[in-house]
Amino acid sequence: MTKEERLKKRHSAEKRFRFYGLASIFLALLFVLILVHNIFSKGSSAFMKTAINVEVFFDQELLEIKNGASDDEILEADFFDITIESLIKVYPAKNVEEEDALIELFTTDAEIEIKRAFLENNNLIGKKINLEITASDDIDQLHKGNYPRDIPEDRRRISDFQLVIYDNLVENQKIIKNFNNYFFKNGDSRDPELAGIGGALIGSFYSIIICLLLAFPVAVLASIYLEEFAPKNKITDFIEININNLAAVPSIVYGLLALQILLATIQLPRSTPLVAGITLALMTLPRIIIPCRASLKAVPPSIREGALAVGASKFQSVFHHVVPLALPGTLSGTIIGLAQALGETAPLILIGMVAFVVDIPSTPIDPSSSLPVQVYLWSESAERGFVEKTSATIMMLLSFLIVMNFLAVYLRQKFEKRWN
Amino acid sequence: MNEIKIKSKNLNVYYGEKQALFDVNLDLNEKEVTALIGPSGCGKSTFIRCINRMNDVIDICKVSGNIEIDGVEINDKNLDVVSLRERVGMVFQKPNPFPKSIYDNISYGPKIHGKGETKSELDEIVENSLKKAALWEEVKDRLDEPGTGLSGGQQQRLCIARAISVNPEVILMDEPCSALDPIATAKIEELIDELKKTYTIVIVTHSMAQAVRVSQKTGFFHLGKLIEVGKTEKIFKNPDNKMTQDYITGRFG
Repeated sequence: MTKEERLKKRHSAEKRFRFYGLASIFLALLFVLILVHNIFSKGSSAFMKTAINVEVFFDQELLEIKNGASDDEILEADFFDITIESLIKVYPAKNVEEEDALIELFTTDAEIEIKRAFLENNNLIGKKINLEITASDDIDQLHKGNYPRDIPEDRRRISDFQLVIYDNLVENQKIIKNFNNYFFKNGDSRDPELAGIGGALIGSFYSIIICLLLAFPVAVLASIYLEEFAPKNKITDFIEININNLAAVPSIVYGLLALQILLATIQLPRSTPLVAGITLALMTLPRIIIPCRASLKAVPPSIREGALAVGASKFQSVFHHVVPLALPGTLSGTIIGLAQALGETAPLILIGMVAFVVDIPSTPIDPSSSLPVQVYLWSESAERGFVEKTSATIMMLLSFLIVMNFLAVYLRQKFEKRWN
Repeated sequence: MNEIKIKSKNLNVYYGEKQALFDVNLDLNEKEVTALIGPSGCGKSTFIRCINRMNDVIDICKVSGNIEIDGVEINDKNLDVVSLRERVGMVFQKPNPFPKSIYDNISYGPKIHGKGETKSELDEIVENSLKKAALWEEVKDRLDEPGTGLSGGQQQRLCIARAISVNPEVILMDEPCSALDPIATAKIEELIDELKKTYTIVIVTHSMAQAVRVSQKTGFFHLGKLIEVGKTEKIFKNPDNKMTQDYITGRFG
């Protein structure tokens, strides 16, 4: 082979490599794009909800309370009759069946929504006001265009009569789209129009905080000891190998462990963020220790020697010099570990967080759900309304993960000191 | 001839199975510069790291034999290395300032040893140390800037100032100029000449010329053995040993 030929070959090898690299990046981006597009197109509609404009007449005859009633009295009072009377006036119904069909267009919580309006202004007796009552999930999905209307009536959840009413309401501009505050405020519900991630958000928040409080100090102390103080011998080698092994243990195994020890033996309350936090901490511990040790290892030995040479003790050289330099790496490792824990589903299912919890937890020992488990729960539900909720929950989860990962990168770049 | 400050007797050092120093008997005089020369891996650095017990950091390193400073044995398990290193400062091959401000680099040592209780006392120590290291004029207006932002030569003088800051008796220098350009080297050599009035200095160097310029006494190491030691003039003009002769004339090394 001549020199020119060899040179040409080298250049073409480089070109080939560049092409492969670009192609891989392009392919990876394509998958991300497909994923994001899929989630967004399904989930973005969940942030809006459909409501129907209803004229409510607070008829003294149907209510047992008077103007200026206290909040307790209002909460006690029965608003059922007023609700029914208001809802069936939306469209002229001929008989009881048609009235029932009309009422089905609204959420089961219509009475609560009317009561809430009265709570805000308790001077409404004898007055007529217009309220936006949340529509049932079927109408919601129909209005968002997720519900096919051209299939035979007996295979549809919405009857022909209801479709007629719906079209009439649309024509009279009685159907409105609002920001879906229920999605952020409410806990889980059997009714998709009322279901929200409020409970799951709080549950995930408590779990991650407990995970952080347990895992971070233990992981940092363990890494500092192993990296700086422990003698290098077979025992520490063995520990190191096992930390790496633990980081690779499937998360469901930690769930089984928690089930056996935390729930069956110690009898901690099941389905709670406390147990979830402890389980996630066990799982996250080795995943934090590894980056912590790596960032300690990355501090050049010359810094340690410099400190020792002016007479710093081992402890001083580590805590005055090495740890501060390793801190950015440690923090970003911790955040990435927590981000993994935030998205972890399997162990939480095993410790009972998969239970149907309507109430929003007020403490870490109340039964709760969590974001990834909520995704799992809703993805299994039959109702059409849960499809968009599932994707919207994934969007929330992903945005938390993205924020955490950005924070990790930011901390590392902002506080990392450069040395020569 | 000055009094003997540091005395090593039958000093042996092992790194695991490998023996790095063989029965080194070497006396170092007070307020004098002793240069240690020899090819790479001959044990010069290992020897000076015994004087401030820096070898303790290396797990597999074992030191046997005696080293006395002012007649007191320092190769003793019960000796407090912290107070030893307060008396024996060290400057490394590559400048290693802390990634902190120039001021903090100097004030760290005095702080941990409880010298300089007040801010003004610390200020004084910082100023004096930097002056002794001939760096004060260059950095006095930017003491809060990072020490790592200085040039290589300045960084090394900062490290010397850091070593001086705790007011040691001995300063060990492990090839302090090997990472520096000739101008920075000249400055450090001038500085060493000045410092020897106050401190006992041991310098490891690969440069014969440097040994001749700065030292009064020279020791030649080869394969872990101290081959020859004597007045610098004599070692370089008229060595007793054939190997020393060969090394200083550049026939090997």
